[in-house]
Amino acid sequence: MARLSIEDVSVDFGGIHALRDVSFELESGAIVGLIGPNGAGKSTLLNCVSGIARPTRGRVRLDDAVLSALPPATVAGCGIGRVFQHPELVIDLSVRENLQIACHRSLRYGLASEFLKLPNVRSAERAAAGRVDEVLERLGLSDSGEVAIRNLPYGHRKLVDLGRALLMDIKFLLLDEPIAGLNDAEVARLRDLLLRLRQDLGLGILVVEHNMPFVSRLCDRLVVLDLGQLIANGAPADVLRDPRVMASYLGEDA
Amino acid sequence: MIANLIVGGLAAGCLYAMVGIAIVIVLNITDIANFAQGEMAMVTTFFAYWLLDSVGLSWWQAVPIAILFGTVQGVIIQQVVIRPLIGSPVLSAIIATLGLNIVLNSVAGLIWGHQTYTFPSPFAFSAPFMLGGVPIPVDSVLNIAVGLSIVIAMTWFLRFTWIGLGLRAASQNPTVARMMGVSISRSSAIAWGLGGLVGGISGILVAPSLFLDTNLMGALLIKAFAGGVLGGLNSLIGVFLGCLSLGIAENLVGAYVSPAFGEAITFIIIIAVLIVRPEGVFGRVRARKV
Amino acid sequence: MSATVDIARTQRHAASVGVSRVLLGLCLAAACVAPFVLNGYGLYILTLTGVFALVALGLNLLTGYAGQISLCHAAFFGVGAYATAILTQKAGFPYLLSIFVGGLLTAAVGAVVAVPAMRLKSLYLAIATLGFGVVLQKIIFEWRSLTNGGGGLALNPPVIAGYQLDATGLYFLTLALVILGIWGASNISSGRTGRALMIIKESEIAAGALGIQAARYKVIAFAISAFYAAVAGGLFAYLVRYIHPENFSAGLSIAFLSMVVIGGLGTIGGSIVGAAFYVIVPELLRGIKDAPGLVFGLLLVIVMVLMPQGLWGLARRLGRRV
Repeated sequence: MARLSIEDVSVDFGGIHALRDVSFELESGAIVGLIGPNGAGKSTLLNCVSGIARPTRGRVRLDDAVLSALPPATVAGCGIGRVFQHPELVIDLSVRENLQIACHRSLRYGLASEFLKLPNVRSAERAAAGRVDEVLERLGLSDSGEVAIRNLPYGHRKLVDLGRALLMDIKFLLLDEPIAGLNDAEVARLRDLLLRLRQDLGLGILVVEHNMPFVSRLCDRLVVLDLGQLIANGAPADVLRDPRVMASYLGEDA
Repeated sequence: MIANLIVGGLAAGCLYAMVGIAIVIVLNITDIANFAQGEMAMVTTFFAYWLLDSVGLSWWQAVPIAILFGTVQGVIIQQVVIRPLIGSPVLSAIIATLGLNIVLNSVAGLIWGHQTYTFPSPFAFSAPFMLGGVPIPVDSVLNIAVGLSIVIAMTWFLRFTWIGLGLRAASQNPTVARMMGVSISRSSAIAWGLGGLVGGISGILVAPSLFLDTNLMGALLIKAFAGGVLGGLNSLIGVFLGCLSLGIAENLVGAYVSPAFGEAITFIIIIAVLIVRPEGVFGRVRARKV
Repeated sequence: MSATVDIARTQRHAASVGVSRVLLGLCLAAACVAPFVLNGYGLYILTLTGVFALVALGLNLLTGYAGQISLCHAAFFGVGAYATAILTQKAGFPYLLSIFVGGLLTAAVGAVVAVPAMRLKSLYLAIATLGFGVVLQKIIFEWRSLTNGGGGLALNPPVIAGYQLDATGLYFLTLALVILGIWGASNISSGRTGRALMIIKESEIAAGALGIQAARYKVIAFAISAFYAAVAGGLFAYLVRYIHPENFSAGLSIAFLSMVVIGGLGTIGGSIVGAAFYVIVPELLRGIKDAPGLVFGLLLVIVMVLMPQGLWGLARRLGRRV
């Protein structure tokens, strides 16, 4: 049971307060939705957790370890997976090859061994290939392993991006607007996939989304940001009826 | 003595600055660093020489025609080489302009050979100006005056004319600029034309002192980049002041430390600035949204 | 529809691997027979091609896979040449050891250069590496006590295990190192390092999210490419037997870059083709002074605009149609 804690995180850019004293928690096995109008600071918050942005005040903690001062690659190594809004995959490589890149941290051979392709390299690569096959299966993409990314539909590219995060032995998954650009069937598939990931792997999932029906059906809890401040944190049904939440989305006259 | 070094440095710096200004105009508007800038200027200067020598025009007749040639050269290169590369990674454009550098140098060599020619200047035999007892050669004054004028004219153009504003809009946000009716490829062509124009002017002013051959601009290009890096490659004033400072620094270090270091100083400056403050002394940092 | 094309392509690929292996075997056989068929000058050209192929292999890893530009590899080539020469002639090291140690030293210099430089974006990286190259060249020139400065260094023929290497011997050494270099580069590019470089080139942020520290791998790529250039330099020094700081100028760095680009960025075959092209074209155009420059410059532009896969990519596409 791991716990991701966002503690009094504030981020200032010049004169702009992107985030102000935001605090909440995410445990293993919980799916939390992060919602709020545009400019509320949702992506900034995700960036703070992944290490791309540094909080001006406050901290992000994984159990006892403080993540907020660490560089993004180290944060990823601690078990925080991040899926960005637009998948940045290597276009000319296949699905399988893109997923192999994600096995990087699990392949523990040195440069000299790699240069000479020693036996330990070969066995490590074989093991990684096996893990890639497992993830392809989990994503339902086993038939698409050899397809080049440039020939892959957008919905599948987003799945491959998710697959990369899964190969990293993560405890927590951060998703930035995962259903943007997907049709209804793909959205339903993604929802089922995320629920199964929570069940099989015990992942804690933080989803930034605009689509209300999607988040209320997927998430155990919703956290609402408005202009950088946390204005609600609770069950979807309660949060969506909260007058402050409605006001932030619809304007003060609602 | 030191005053002479400073004046000499300023004059040399102005030459670097003119190449640098041409580079910065193109860089800021089209996001491409033109590594062929020097060679384009060299070709324009050779054209001017041809007008002077074979066609028999006077300096005052040949120079405007040559500058026009330089402008057209810039536009043609933009249309043929650069336009297809809009949207490609930066690496491709850098390599393409390096290739262009080699092509122009070779073409000039094939047409005019590798001898050194004397390029005339109408001010060659004028007496130097005297400023507080320090003699300043007339062509140095000319270089400084022209350099400063170009900076002022370009700044005014980019800030206060419709075309100039359109150019700046095109470089900062192509999508919105298009929606406002600014043509991106036309902006790019204008920018490269301006680069060719300013480059041509720089070549014609440089040639009398450095003598005209295919290597005229090679060393200047690197120094223009160095001065630009020092002052900030996204600022016209920055490039100008950076190149002037570089010229002065070269002279002073060359005289008081050692001639070898005088040359190396260019590169030591580049490296030091890039490590400490990559956007240069006057430059602005550009952020990127994730 | 396109997915089916991909899978069919993979199946055809497996069949064509057999053909490739035969061709490779033929090339190797030809390479081994060459010294006995060519005259002294022909052998020199072939050896020089091998030397430049080594540079191209390393530079390809940096520019083709990691997408980082370098305009100072002639300086690494030169440092390797001088290091090998000085260790062999003045310190009395065995030739092969000198090459290897020279390579490591240069890789260390490369790493030192790379650490600050790798934070920079493309254009600034190009300018910074240009600067480093010139400074390194100047250091070689000024450090007269070690390098004899502008006077250059004249070298005795190299000796391995008591046998003096003649032109044929040096050729076979070069061939062996090129083969080793190809194999190593292939292993790296298909291993975790090569893959890391590819995602870094695509997006450093995506790389970070996958636990890959972009800065670290860019430095590694820089150091490896410097190592390759230095080993090539060690061979070059003893091929020409007289080295001079002027040999290792910014112009040569640009020429190295041209090789990998024209040959085909990001492919090993491209490195070899580019190197061969770089050596052979001036030979064919000998006499017309600026013609090679014109051809290279034009090709650089044409490749960037029309044929990003370079000559090797073009050859492969034609080969597939056959």
